[in-house]
Amino acid sequence: MSVIWAIIRKDFQMEFRTKDSVTAMWIFSLLIFVIFNFTFEVSRLLMLQISPGLLWVAFIFSGMLGLNRSFQVEKENGNLRSLALTPADPGLIYFGKFFSTTLFTLIFEALIFPLFIIFYDIHLSLLTLWIIPIAILGTIGFTSLGTILSAVAIHTKQQQILLSLLLWPMITPIIIWSVKTTGDVLAGDLSTAFQPVIIRMIVFDVIFTTISYLLFEYVVQE
Amino acid sequence: MTKKNSSLSFYIMAGLLLVLVPISLYLVFNWVPPIKASNPTEQTAQRIFYYHVASAWNGFFAFFVVFLASIMYLWKKERKWENIAVASAEVGTLFMTIVLITGPIWAKPTWGIWWTWDARLTSSLVLWLIYVAYLFLRRYLPDGTRRANLSAVVGIIGFVDVPLVWYSIRWWETQHPSAVLAGGKKGSLAPEMLFTLLFCVGVFTILYFLLMQRRIEIAKLEDSINKQYKEWETLS
Repeated sequence: MSVIWAIIRKDFQMEFRTKDSVTAMWIFSLLIFVIFNFTFEVSRLLMLQISPGLLWVAFIFSGMLGLNRSFQVEKENGNLRSLALTPADPGLIYFGKFFSTTLFTLIFEALIFPLFIIFYDIHLSLLTLWIIPIAILGTIGFTSLGTILSAVAIHTKQQQILLSLLLWPMITPIIIWSVKTTGDVLAGDLSTAFQPVIIRMIVFDVIFTTISYLLFEYVVQE
Repeated sequence: MTKKNSSLSFYIMAGLLLVLVPISLYLVFNWVPPIKASNPTEQTAQRIFYYHVASAWNGFFAFFVVFLASIMYLWKKERKWENIAVASAEVGTLFMTIVLITGPIWAKPTWGIWWTWDARLTSSLVLWLIYVAYLFLRRYLPDGTRRANLSAVVGIIGFVDVPLVWYSIRWWETQHPSAVLAGGKKGSLAPEMLFTLLFCVGVFTILYFLLMQRRIEIAKLEDSINKQYKEWETLS
């Protein structure tokens, strides 16, 4: 437990001093909204239909920046080897990196969501609060796989492009489910499929955090 | 496997294919009765179904072999499992490519469109992307234990993802009913069709093993050349 905590604290201290990840993700999302506005000139009605997808495009694309940085900082400072050499269970190192990346991404998502509401004139109700568990489950699905694949990709020279190539096809299920449930919530009308989909998202998250925890040992091995 | 044994198994499989592939072509184009369809193009196009499904089956099978060999590699740390995994990933990607090419050729005369975001098509595409990424990863890494470890990890995670991708896209499709699918949906298979299908699946499976055997032989050759090169380097 102290291993996980030590990594999270280290990452937070670094982030707090530089504010690199969260700010970059936030600005990048803002850019996605702006570019989107010019590439697709759509009516307001259509906008309501596609806004859940747009929100997740912003989350995922910007989240990639955070994932890329997650192990980049370790590599730059030569920490990767030190982490591999510590007597700590490599699985715990995975959880440390996974938690800190997830928290950064969630903080960024919380900061960009108000802008999303303003730009796309989202109607708020008590139901909108459902967006919080959906964002958490969707983000965990994305970062659980993203953390281990980022650790895989960091060993190559083309780490950024490779991470996208590896990660995007694999997170198709969680994207589909996140967009669908977000659509339900923003429309203010939970369909009958809503609850089963939430359960599937939990299952996806559990499967991939467990597998990544078990396999991380082989990723850091020299 | 000794060199003699491996070339024997090659000749057996190659001989079998020389006989069986022409038979499968005969079955597909002459023996099987045409399907009931509104126009002759659609009837002819349907015959691609036998090779299409046979490739798909082998693609899935190949990815399953990648998964098993990756687990075996992480467990035993033997070079041979790495070679099997990468050979199967390459052959599997080849079969999936055939699926993705034959699919649209069949879809155009039947559905009137080259591509639809149908569950089967979309899942095949996503699977293909996963294993292409796996091959990219290998290309970006120098040969060694690290490459073997990392590709085994991706080989395992990728395959665990397969049923989830398949299931989620199927579900997604039911949420977005596609409008253009005029007719087309095949009913139950006639006995002749089922026989031809199974025959083609069998032939393609032999082809899979033949390609695997060749690819593994190449990997072994590479290993022995590298070894000799290293010995030569230390001598000079």
